[in-house]
Amino acid sequence: MIENPLSTSPTGFAVLECFHIAGFALAIGMTALLDFRLLGLGLQRQSPAQIARAFEWWTFGGLVIAVFSGLLIFSTDPDMYYLNWSFLVKMGCLVSAIIFNYTIHKRAVFRAWAPGSARIVACVSLVLWVSVIFGGIFIAVVRTGLT
Amino acid sequence: MLLQFLIWLENLTLFSGLRSSAYVYPVVLALHLTAISLFGAMIVATDLRLLGWVLSGSSTADVIAQLRWPKRIGFLLAGTCGFLLFASKAEEYFYNPFFRAKVLLFLLVAIHALVFRRSVYTDPSPESPIAKVSASLSLVLWLAILCAGRGIGYVAGRPGMHYR
Repeated sequence: MIENPLSTSPTGFAVLECFHIAGFALAIGMTALLDFRLLGLGLQRQSPAQIARAFEWWTFGGLVIAVFSGLLIFSTDPDMYYLNWSFLVKMGCLVSAIIFNYTIHKRAVFRAWAPGSARIVACVSLVLWVSVIFGGIFIAVVRTGLT
Repeated sequence: MLLQFLIWLENLTLFSGLRSSAYVYPVVLALHLTAISLFGAMIVATDLRLLGWVLSGSSTADVIAQLRWPKRIGFLLAGTCGFLLFASKAEEYFYNPFFRAKVLLFLLVAIHALVFRRSVYTDPSPESPIAKVSASLSLVLWLAILCAGRGIGYVAGRPGMHYR
């Protein structure tokens, strides 16, 4: 049987977690910057579309780093994650957040939706992404795994 | 002296309660990470503008001015949660090499702010090389703080702590 090298190296795992945090902080924080703009806060002298265009590749880059480091973290203990309800909730929120971001959220930003609808879109986006962070933290709290 | 103060601090009802709570502690941790995301992205956005890589249609001064207060609020939120986490295990953190590194890095951030405050942040001259140096150093310092912060959790707890 081949041992997953990440399972035996605490340093490797820790470095991976740093990538994971830096990646999601970039992706979620920049999405939040846009969401706060939709709520009328922050970079108010730029249009939401201008902010989105400036940061969309940075957001995407952060997301790619977070997802790939996340897959590697998952690979160290797949059955624990699979049986962890917080992980499952996190994945549900993550998939919803990504789909929402590249469909409705994108349309609200680039087609300059009216403030009322844009605010609702911003709130949904913020709630989904913050739920992903909470789901991630609570994996360690509710962890049981195979006995 | 310092250690005695930290032992007193960690045994205040608020912090000993936080230390032993199964759910409040992780909630504070999750809020800390949420605030880090908000604050971190604003730092990156400002630094990318200083480097001239994004929002080149807007002036550096405009981006800095608009993000000044949101950044302060983000830092306050992350700092408050961070302090709660620290204070509930103050004695352990005192011995933690990653926590010590993090404190040292915050001192460097303060020095960075003092050095570049006038030339870059209050009175930014467009596209000056000093702005780019400041932005690069800022990115490196905050990334190092993030890694040091994650490192804190990897140091095993010490025996003989004066938790009550």
